[in-house]
Amino acid sequence: MSYLSLIFAPIILSIFIYFFTKQTNNAKYIALALFTFMLYMSINIYMHLPETGYLLLSSFLHVEAFDFNLVLQVDRLSVIMLILTSVLLILVGLSSWSIEKQSAYFSLLIFFCGAIFGVFMSTNLMWFFIFWELTLIPMYFLIGIWGAEGRIYAAVKFFLYTHVASMLILLSFFLIYKQSGTFDMTLIKSGVLTTPALIWWLLFIGFSVKMPLFPFHTWLPDAHVQAPAPISVLLAGVLLKMGAYAMIRMLILILPLQAQKYAWAILLLGLISLLYAGFMALYETHLKKMVAYSSISHMGLVAIGISTLSYDGLSAGVYEMIGHAFIISPLFLIAGFLHHKTGSWQMRDMGGIMQRVPYISAIFVLAGLGALGLPGTMGFIGELSILLSAIGKYGVWLIVILLGSMLSAAYLIWTFRRVIYGEMSEVVKITDFKMPKAEFLSLIIFSIFIILFGIYPQALFDIINQAFSAYATSGGAL
Amino acid sequence: MNIPIIILIFLPFIGSVFTFIVGKIYKKSAFICAYIISIILFSLTVYICISFTQALSFDLEWFSFGNITLPFGIYIDELSLVMLLIATGLGALDIHFSHDYMADERDQARYYSKVLFFIGGMILLVSAKEMLGLFVGWEFMGLASYLLISFWHQNSSPADAGVSAFLYTKFGDIFLFASLGIIFYTTGTLDMIKLNELSSSGEINSQVAYVVSIFIFIAAIGKSGQFPLFPWLMRAMEGPTTVSALIHGATMVNSGIYIVARMFDFYVAAEALVVVAAVASLSAFIGATSALVQNEMKKVLAYSTMSHLSLAFIGLGAGSLAAGMTHLINHAIFKALLFLGAGAVILSAHHVKDLWRLGGLKNRLILVSIFMGMGVLSLSGIPIFSGFYSKDAIIASTLLNPETHGLISTLTIIAALLSIAYAGRLWTLIFVGKPRDEELHVSIKAPSKFWISLPLGVMATLTLALGVFQKELAEFITAEKYHELHVNGLFTFMMGVILVLGLIIYYFYVRRTDLRDKISAQPLMKSIHQILFNGYYIEMMINWFAKSIIVNAVAKSINWVEKNIVDAFINGVVTVTHLSFTFLKHTHSAKVSNQSGAMMLGLMMIVATVLIRSFL
Amino acid sequence: MSAFVLLFALAIVSLVIHKLSILKSISIVTLIASSALVLLHFSTPLSGFTSSAAIELFQVLLFTVISAVIISEDEHINITQTLFITAASVLLLESSTLLTFIISFEALSIISFVLVSNIKNAKQAEGAIKMFISGSIATAIIVLGLSMYLLEGHSLNALIDAKMSNFAIVGIWIIMMGLFYKLTIVPMHSWAADTYAQIKPSLAATLSGVVKTVVVVATFKIFSPFILNNITLSMPILALLALVTMTLGNFLALWQKSVGKILSYSSIAHAGYMLLAFVAIQSKYASTALLYMAVAYIFMQTSLFLLLDKLSDGRGDLSLDNLKGLYSKDKFASLIFSIELFSLAGIPLLAGFLGKAILVYAVVDVNLIFLALFTLLNSALSVGYYAWIIKHIYFDKAEGKNKISRVSNTALISQLILLSGTLYFGLFAYNIFEVAF
Repeated sequence: MSYLSLIFAPIILSIFIYFFTKQTNNAKYIALALFTFMLYMSINIYMHLPETGYLLLSSFLHVEAFDFNLVLQVDRLSVIMLILTSVLLILVGLSSWSIEKQSAYFSLLIFFCGAIFGVFMSTNLMWFFIFWELTLIPMYFLIGIWGAEGRIYAAVKFFLYTHVASMLILLSFFLIYKQSGTFDMTLIKSGVLTTPALIWWLLFIGFSVKMPLFPFHTWLPDAHVQAPAPISVLLAGVLLKMGAYAMIRMLILILPLQAQKYAWAILLLGLISLLYAGFMALYETHLKKMVAYSSISHMGLVAIGISTLSYDGLSAGVYEMIGHAFIISPLFLIAGFLHHKTGSWQMRDMGGIMQRVPYISAIFVLAGLGALGLPGTMGFIGELSILLSAIGKYGVWLIVILLGSMLSAAYLIWTFRRVIYGEMSEVVKITDFKMPKAEFLSLIIFSIFIILFGIYPQALFDIINQAFSAYATSGGAL
Repeated sequence: MNIPIIILIFLPFIGSVFTFIVGKIYKKSAFICAYIISIILFSLTVYICISFTQALSFDLEWFSFGNITLPFGIYIDELSLVMLLIATGLGALDIHFSHDYMADERDQARYYSKVLFFIGGMILLVSAKEMLGLFVGWEFMGLASYLLISFWHQNSSPADAGVSAFLYTKFGDIFLFASLGIIFYTTGTLDMIKLNELSSSGEINSQVAYVVSIFIFIAAIGKSGQFPLFPWLMRAMEGPTTVSALIHGATMVNSGIYIVARMFDFYVAAEALVVVAAVASLSAFIGATSALVQNEMKKVLAYSTMSHLSLAFIGLGAGSLAAGMTHLINHAIFKALLFLGAGAVILSAHHVKDLWRLGGLKNRLILVSIFMGMGVLSLSGIPIFSGFYSKDAIIASTLLNPETHGLISTLTIIAALLSIAYAGRLWTLIFVGKPRDEELHVSIKAPSKFWISLPLGVMATLTLALGVFQKELAEFITAEKYHELHVNGLFTFMMGVILVLGLIIYYFYVRRTDLRDKISAQPLMKSIHQILFNGYYIEMMINWFAKSIIVNAVAKSINWVEKNIVDAFINGVVTVTHLSFTFLKHTHSAKVSNQSGAMMLGLMMIVATVLIRSFL
Repeated sequence: MSAFVLLFALAIVSLVIHKLSILKSISIVTLIASSALVLLHFSTPLSGFTSSAAIELFQVLLFTVISAVIISEDEHINITQTLFITAASVLLLESSTLLTFIISFEALSIISFVLVSNIKNAKQAEGAIKMFISGSIATAIIVLGLSMYLLEGHSLNALIDAKMSNFAIVGIWIIMMGLFYKLTIVPMHSWAADTYAQIKPSLAATLSGVVKTVVVVATFKIFSPFILNNITLSMPILALLALVTMTLGNFLALWQKSVGKILSYSSIAHAGYMLLAFVAIQSKYASTALLYMAVAYIFMQTSLFLLLDKLSDGRGDLSLDNLKGLYSKDKFASLIFSIELFSLAGIPLLAGFLGKAILVYAVVDVNLIFLALFTLLNSALSVGYYAWIIKHIYFDKAEGKNKISRVSNTALISQLILLSGTLYFGLFAYNIFEVAF
C-alpha cells in the first residue's frame, strides 16, 4: 500500500500544485524534493530486492472477474529503469529552472513522474497499459504549451501516433487475457496462448512506435524539435526507454519462443533505423532534428542488442539505453539553449559558439563524442558491447553496424564544425549567451555520468548483469 | 602491479585535468605543470627501461557484461619501451619547446592539457596488452589530434582541418573496431601476444586472419597517413607546429606501424605483409613526389612524413621487423627535429610558412639552420646519420624478399632517393640564397637558445648518435640477434647521388632560378606540378565521393523518402480522414424530411435484411 | 418502485411549489432519499417491474447525476421536468415486460419533448421540432412492430418469447429500430446531431447524458434474451450498425467548428460503442461492459454538456475559437473540461477508458477481433477531436473579446460530483463487476 503512493501521491500532488502554487516559484522546489525522494525510494527498493525474481510491493483493487488488479512488483530490470527515471527527472527539473508558467509545468512533470513509476512497477498488463497511456497526457501538454512554433502539430501528432500504437498493444493484451486467463505478466505462460504470433507482432509494432524504430519513427523528430529542451530529454531519456523496456519485458521474457522466431524483425528494424536515421542526421541542417535523428539511430542500436535475445545482448542493450539517455540529453539541452538564445535552429546561423561559451560548447562536444562512440564515454561501451554480443549471435556480417558509427562520426563532427568551431556568425556575435546556474549544473552532472560510466562501466554492468542472470540461467540458451 | 607503470598510465590523464584547472587559475602555471609532468613521465620510462629485464605483463579486467568479459591488460616489452621512450621523451622536449612557441597563446591551459592527454593516449596504446586497450589509446590519440589540430578553432581552416583529420582516421578506426569484433568472435581473445602465437601455430583460420590483417592495416593507413587516406595529414598542418611535430611527425602517426609491428607474427601467418608493402610503396612514391613541389614548409614535411612512414611500412612488409622499427624510431627523431626546426623558423618569421617568402636565413638563425641541416641529412639518408642505416636496411630487405623485389623495391628506392631532393630543397629555400622578402627578413630575430635551440640540439645529437647504435637498437626491439642487411655499394652510391642532386638543387633554386621558372612554365611540367601539388587529387576525389555520393545522393534520397513516403504516409492519414469527413458530411442533412426519410429507409433495409435472412 | 413513487410525488408537488426557491434543496433531499430507498431495497413489488443489483446501482448513480444536473440548473421549470424524467427512468429501468417497457419508454419520450419545449429562440425551436418529429416517427415504428408481434399471438405482458415466428421476429426488430432512435444509432441518428447542439446544453445534458443511457440499459435488460436467441442474425446486423455508428460519429465530429456539434457526434459515436455490448452478448462480460460504459458515459457526457451550458451562458453556441485561452481564464473549468474529454477519449484512470476497454474485451471475448481492432482505431481517431478541443483550451491564446462566462460556484459543485464519478469509476472497478443484471 505504501508503495502505491509512489504512483498516486505524485498524481494527486500534481493537482494541488496546479491550483495552489500560483505565480510563486515554489513548484520547482517541491518537484525536485519529490524526485529526490523518488530516487531514494528506488534505491531503497533496489536494496531489498531478492537475488532473482520479483519483489511484491503491493497489491490493490482486486477485481476477480477481470483480473484488474493493481499489482506492484519489481525486479532488477524495473528498478534500473526506476533509478534512471528518477535521476533523469531530477536533472530535467534542474534544467527547467527558468521555464515559464512554473506551477503548471512542474505539476505536469510530477504527474509524469507518477505515471512512469506506474509503468515500471506494475506487472498487471491492464495497469501497465493504464500508466503507459497516462504518460502521454503530461507529455501532450508539455509539448503543446511550452513547445516551439510548430508545437501544436507536434503535440497532436505525438499524441495520436503513439495512441494508435497503444491501441494495438491493448488489443494484444486482451488477446493474452482471453487465451491465458490472466493479466499478470509474471504468471503468463506462453504455452497456453493460441495465437502467440499475432500477439507478438501486435506488441512489436506497438512498442516499435514508442522506441521508435523505422518506419514508425516520424512522430519523434517533430516531437523532439518542438518540445522544450528538458522535455526532449524526458522523451529521449524516459519515454523511448519505455518502448525498449516493454520489448524486453513482453516480447522476450513473456513470449520467448516467438521472440526467437521473429527476432530477425527486431534486428532488421534496428539495423535500418541505425543507418537510415544516421543518413537523415547527416543531411539535416536543423540542429535539434539532427540530434533527434541521432537519438533514433542509437535506439536502433538498442534494438539490435535486444534482438540477440542473449544474456550479453540484453545487458548490452540496457547499458546502451542508459548511455543513450545520458549522452543525448545534454545534446538536446544545448541545442535548445542555442535556439533559445539565437532564435534559430539552423546550423548555418551558428558557428563559433566555442568562443562565446567554451564550457557549454565543451560539454556539447563531449556528449557528441559520446554519441559517436569514443572510448572513455558511455557511447563506446554501449557500441562495443552490442557489437560483440550481436556478432556472437548473428555472425561476422553484423560488423555493418559500424557503418552507423562512421555516420554518426560524420554528422557529429561536421556539426561541431558548423556550430561550435569556426568563425562567429553575425547572430552569435550579438547574442547574449547566459545560462542559468541550475541548467549548467545539470549539464555538468550529465557529463560526469558520461565519463564516469564510460571509464568504469562495471558499476552499471554489475546491476544490469544481475537483472538478466536469472534469464541466463533459466533460458540461457535462448 | 608495478607502481611506476600505474603512474605512467594514469598520470597523464590526471595531469591533463589538473593542468587545465591550474592553468585556468593562473595562466603561467599550465606550462610548469605540464612540463613537470612530462619530465616525470620521461623519468619513469627511463626508470622502467633501466630496470627492465623481461616483458612486463599484467592481466586486468575492464568490465563484463552477460557472459562476456573484456580484459584490459598491460604488456610492456622492448617494442613498447622504445615507443614509450619516444612518446615521453619527445613529448617532454615538445613541451619544453612550446614554452616559447606558444608563449603568445591566450589559452595555455587548454593547449597543455590536450598535449598531456595526447601523451597519455600514446602511452596507453603502446602499453596495452589487448586490442581493446590499444583501440582506446588509438581513439584517445585521434581525439587529441582532432582537438589540437583545430586548436585555433576560431578560424575556419584549422576547424576544417580538424574535421578531415577526425573523419579520415575514423574511417580507418571502424575497421580496427570491426577487426576487434571479428577477432573476439573467432578466437575469444583480444590478447595480441596470444594472437601472434595462435596464428603462428595455425590455429586461426587463415582467411579470417587475412581479413583481420587487412582491416587492421586499413586503420593503420588512416592513422599513419598512407594512400589513400593521407590528405588529412597535410591539412593537419593547420595546427600549432609543436603539435605537428609531436603528433603528426613523431608519435601518433607511428601508431599504425606500431600495431602492424605488434602483430607482426600475425601478419606473417596471414600472409598479408605483401599488401602492406604494396600500399606503402605507392604511398611512399606519392608522398615523395608531392613533397617536391609544396610551397609551405610544413606541407613538405607532412608529405615527407607520409613517405617515410611508408618506408617503415615497407620494411615491415618486406618481412623485416627490425628494419621497419628502427626506421620508425629514427624517423620519429629527425622528423620531430625538422618540425620543431620549422617551428623555430615560423616563430622567428612571424608565422610565415611560405617557402617563397623565406630564404637566406642561415645567418640570422645559425643554430637552427645547423640543427635542421642535420635533420635534413638524416632524413635524406646520408651515411653516419641514423636515417641512412634504416633506409639501407629497408631497401635491402625489399630487394631480398622475392615478393617485394621488383615494382615495390623500385618505388621504394625512388622514394628514398627523392627524399634527398625535397629535403635539400626545403633547407636550401629556407636558409640559403637571397632573402625573397626583405621586409620580413629584417625583422627576423634569433630565438631563445634555451627554449628553442636546446631541444633541437638534443634531437640533432640523437639522430647522429642513433646512427652509431643502429644494430643495438634493432636487437633491442626484436629481442634477437640482428643480421644486418646491406645493399652493397649503397654507401658510395648515396654519396654520389647526394652530390649530383645537391648540385642540381643548388643550381636551380639558387643560381639559375630563371631556368627553373622556365621549365616549370611548360604545360606538361605545369600539369605534373599541379597533380603533385594537389597530392594526386586524392583529397578531391574522396571529398567528391563523400559529398556527391554519400551526402547529396544517398542521404538526400533518404531524406526525400522520409519526407515524401514515410512521413507523408502519416500525414496522408489526416488528408484521408479529411476527405472522408467532407464525403460523410453529405450523409447529414439538416432538413427534417431527409432525416425522417433516412429513418424510414434504414428501417426498411433492416427489415428487408431480417426478412430475407429469416425466410430464406 | 418506492423510489418512483417518491420521485413522482415530488414531481407533482414541484408543479405547485416551482416558484419557491427551496425547490432545489427539496429535490436533492428527495433524490438522496430515493437513493436510500433503493439501497435499502425498500421496494414495493408490482407486476411487470423487477429490479436487480445492477439496476439498483445504476439507479443510485442516476440519482447522483440528476442531483448534479439539478444543482447546476437555474430554471425551476426544467427542474420539474427533470424530476419527471427521473421518475420515468426509474420505471423504465425496472420494467420487466414488453408492455411496461414500452409504456415507460413512451412516458420518458413524452417528458423529453416537454423538456425541450422550453424554447427561448428559433434555434432551440428547430432542435425541439426535429426531435419531436423524429420521435413521433419512432413511436409509430414501435407501434408497428408491436402490432406485428401481437398479431402472431404473443403476449405483451411478459418477456419476449423465446420461440417466435419469423413475422414476430421482424416485429421485434422493428421495435428495436424504434428504440434506436433514442439510442441515436445510425440511421436513426440525424436528429441527435442537430438537436443536442441546438437546444440549451443543460437540456442536452439530460437528453444525451441521462435519457439515452437509461434507455440503453433498459433495452439491454429487455432485449438481450431476444438477441441471444437470434444470434446468427443479430450479431452481423448489430455489428454493422455499431461499426457504422461509431465511424460516422467520429468522422463527422472531426472537423466540426462548434463544440456542441462535436459533443453531439461524439455522443452518437458512443452509442455505437455501447451497441457493441449487444453484439458481444454471448460474452459473460457483455452486461458488465454495458453497465460500465453506461455509468462512465452518464457522468462524463452530462458533465460536459452542463459545463458547456455554463461556459456559453445557456446559449450553447460556443465555437472552438471561443474556447481559446480558457486555461488562463478559468483554471478549474479547463481542468474539468479536459478530464471529461479525456475520459470520453478513453484515456486511462478515467471511467471512459475502463468502460471502453471492457466493451472491447467483450468483443474480443466473442472472437470478433477485427471488430475490436476497428473499435480501438475508432477510439484512437476520436482522440483527434478531443485533443483538438483541449488544444484550444490550453495551447492557444485568447483572441480579442471572449464571450465565455465564468463557471459559478454552484455549477462547480455539480461538476465536482460528476468529476468524482468519472474518477472513481476510472480506478475502482469492482463495484460494477460485482453486480449482476
